[in-house]
Amino acid sequence: MIVLYRPGTSLVHRMPAGAKVLVFSALVLAIGLTADSVWTLPTAGILAISLYLMAGLGIPTLLRQFYAARWIALVMLVTQVFFLPVLAAISNASRVLVVIVLAALITLTTRIPALLDATEHALAPLRRFGLNPAGIGLVLALTITAIPVIGGFAADIREAQRARGAPVRLQTFVVPLLVMSLKHSDELADALTARGIE
Amino acid sequence: MNGQREIRFEGVSAEFAGRVALCEVSITLNEKRIGVIGSNGSGKSTFARMLNGLVTPTSGGVTVHGLDPVRDGRRLRRRVGFIFSNPDAQIVMATVTEDLAFSLRGRGLTRAEVDERVTSTLESVDLRGHDEAPTHGLSSGQKQLLALGAILIGEPDLVVADEPTALLDASNTRKIGNRLLDEIPQQLVLVTHDLRLAARCDIVLRFEGGMLLEHGDPRSVIAHYERDHA
Repeated sequence: MIVLYRPGTSLVHRMPAGAKVLVFSALVLAIGLTADSVWTLPTAGILAISLYLMAGLGIPTLLRQFYAARWIALVMLVTQVFFLPVLAAISNASRVLVVIVLAALITLTTRIPALLDATEHALAPLRRFGLNPAGIGLVLALTITAIPVIGGFAADIREAQRARGAPVRLQTFVVPLLVMSLKHSDELADALTARGIE
Repeated sequence: MNGQREIRFEGVSAEFAGRVALCEVSITLNEKRIGVIGSNGSGKSTFARMLNGLVTPTSGGVTVHGLDPVRDGRRLRRRVGFIFSNPDAQIVMATVTEDLAFSLRGRGLTRAEVDERVTSTLESVDLRGHDEAPTHGLSSGQKQLLALGAILIGEPDLVVADEPTALLDASNTRKIGNRLLDEIPQQLVLVTHDLRLAARCDIVLRFEGGMLLEHGDPRSVIAHYERDHA
């Protein structure tokens, strides 16, 4: 499982998960609605830096989040450059980058069970329409779990192919990865059922 | 007490895609420590998975502690803890404490009750001091102890362990084996290839080709198994 959470006692850490998500949503909305203002990007940037410092995470952690999101920003930039003025494309990609970094602040300062509880609590009114809030919370947790697990499978397949002296090709890589992922999902489903979580 | 921990199979068969996995198994078990041995593909795991309804019989009936795993599956799974050979597939949460607490979700317990049970479970599976440790960073033995803790925290009446030491070294095998066979108060069904662990059970069942070949005194059943596979 990915461990994103950094333990701490800051105000950001202590804030309830639901409130954190609401504040984040409001910030994203504000950044989107004031896209034309020249002040939006610098303000959002300063806010992100301030929040990371307030949470005791420091500038290196902030820079790591920017670095981790670099490819998303780059793809956005390259695709928009064809249709928009360069400055507008840079501004759009930068805003997305800031939003990703702010979203990362939630996972860095909130335990996954707290996020699950907040999700279940927020979705509880939809129970009357047949929605299962606990199930949706579980799916979110399992989605986060799946990322490093599948990454581990990919590394195992690459190593196995190298050990056999076989060149790594897309078709000989994707099929075993799919098989391993499906097998894992079967095992995980059995394990969850066995733990009484259905 | 024996009546409460009765496991009964009556003419139970199971087929998967035309292959017979279990054939006409009939037995009543009241023992506290039940060992299950046999070759790969002999039907051991199918037998174990029927105990909490993960596998349903094609014919025949199963009763576990008075409940039918098919009809009362949900209720029974809360009373039967199941440990798999690969603990990685069982661990869901990021830290040890979170993973233990995850087993109690939806049980209507207060935060204080959950914390209390997590603390006592950490103690009982020897993971005190690893409370906030990332689960993926634990050793294989510690992961299996965590998997055991994750089921014990639910206070089951029966523990089913399907080759729980298959991926462990000798020292961790001993540790998990001792924990299961000597320390937990629950009834135990232990599926294993480790004949030393099986020998410590009260009764041993031997499966071959989907049939329950023999059952009884561990020394005698294991001796026949070793003779046949010499």
